[in-house]
Amino acid sequence: MEWKLFADLAEVAGDDRITVSVPADATVGDALEALLDDRPALRERVLADDGTLYDHVNLLRNGADASLADDAAPDDELALFPPVSGG
Amino acid sequence: MAGLDLDPTQLDRYSRHIIMDDVGPEGQAALLDADVLVVGAGGLGSPVIEYLAAAGVGTLAVVDDDTVERSNLQRQILHRDADVGTPKVDSARRYVTDLNPDVNFEGHAVRLTRENARDLLSDRDFVVDCTDNFGTRYLVNDACVLAGVPFSHGAIYKFEGQALTVTPDGPCYRCVFPEAPEEGTVPDCATAGVLGVLPGTMGCLQATEAVKSILGVGDLLTGRMLHYDAASVGFEEVPIARDPDCPVCGDDPIESVEDVEYTGGCTVA
Repeated sequence: MEWKLFADLAEVAGDDRITVSVPADATVGDALEALLDDRPALRERVLADDGTLYDHVNLLRNGADASLADDAAPDDELALFPPVSGG
Repeated sequence: MAGLDLDPTQLDRYSRHIIMDDVGPEGQAALLDADVLVVGAGGLGSPVIEYLAAAGVGTLAVVDDDTVERSNLQRQILHRDADVGTPKVDSARRYVTDLNPDVNFEGHAVRLTRENARDLLSDRDFVVDCTDNFGTRYLVNDACVLAGVPFSHGAIYKFEGQALTVTPDGPCYRCVFPEAPEEGTVPDCATAGVLGVLPGTMGCLQATEAVKSILGVGDLLTGRMLHYDAASVGFEEVPIARDPDCPVCGDDPIESVEDVEYTGGCTVA
């Protein structure tokens, strides 16, 4: 499945679209772990010290709010969406 | 009927509005009666101030404590080369008064703070958030929701823009982003750079929302965060829902912004 990364997350990861492979019964959390294994620099940017996603990083599945426990299908588009502040 | 008060010069100036069924003389009179605050006279604030002045928004208030720097001029089209070193509210005043004598310009060369937010925001018909930092953005969100004033959020990063309109019943900016990233986590324009025309696109969306809100026409950008990618020319919407536990627009909101620290994560204790 494909991850889409917005704003500075794409720069930290080195790309704004990253494909990961996970087992058929994988969750969104498994897909996130696969993403962070593939792009280690992103781990520190999106995970707090306790290992959970920062509150300011929105997790989306097919364009809508998602949680790590949700099932992930092979054709899903997952996304991480942070706020930006420039004006 | 307020629309009948338009004088011949105004009927001419606003004729392309007045001829539209969705605006008409009544809509134009509503714009002339409207009171809008723009927070920030920078990249986003420039097109917002220019279009709202052209539209004849009767009271146009601008709050910004910055002075013009040469590096602003690549995108902040309100200011000129000769304005470098002078207050941004002064260039805004010059632009607005030169463009449209119908507009009462109110310039505040101060920073928006917890202490002055209520006085500056609470009696407005609409507020436009054109600031450049998370602390002020959370303050605008919280103060507007608590005062019952609708506002437009806009923010930019390199080739990407985000926009959202918040009405007092929410969902609000905190429902999407409950807390701000720690300072320095997300690079600002000075660090990351920004495409000069990007704030023009996003600011025009914000000005459109202000005008629509005053006219009561169309559907506001509520309940969905708009994302614009100038590189791919892509617009996407992320649906957002009101969080019942939101400390600002939720079921048990805070009473004022006085106890909120608008630094770091800008969290509500």
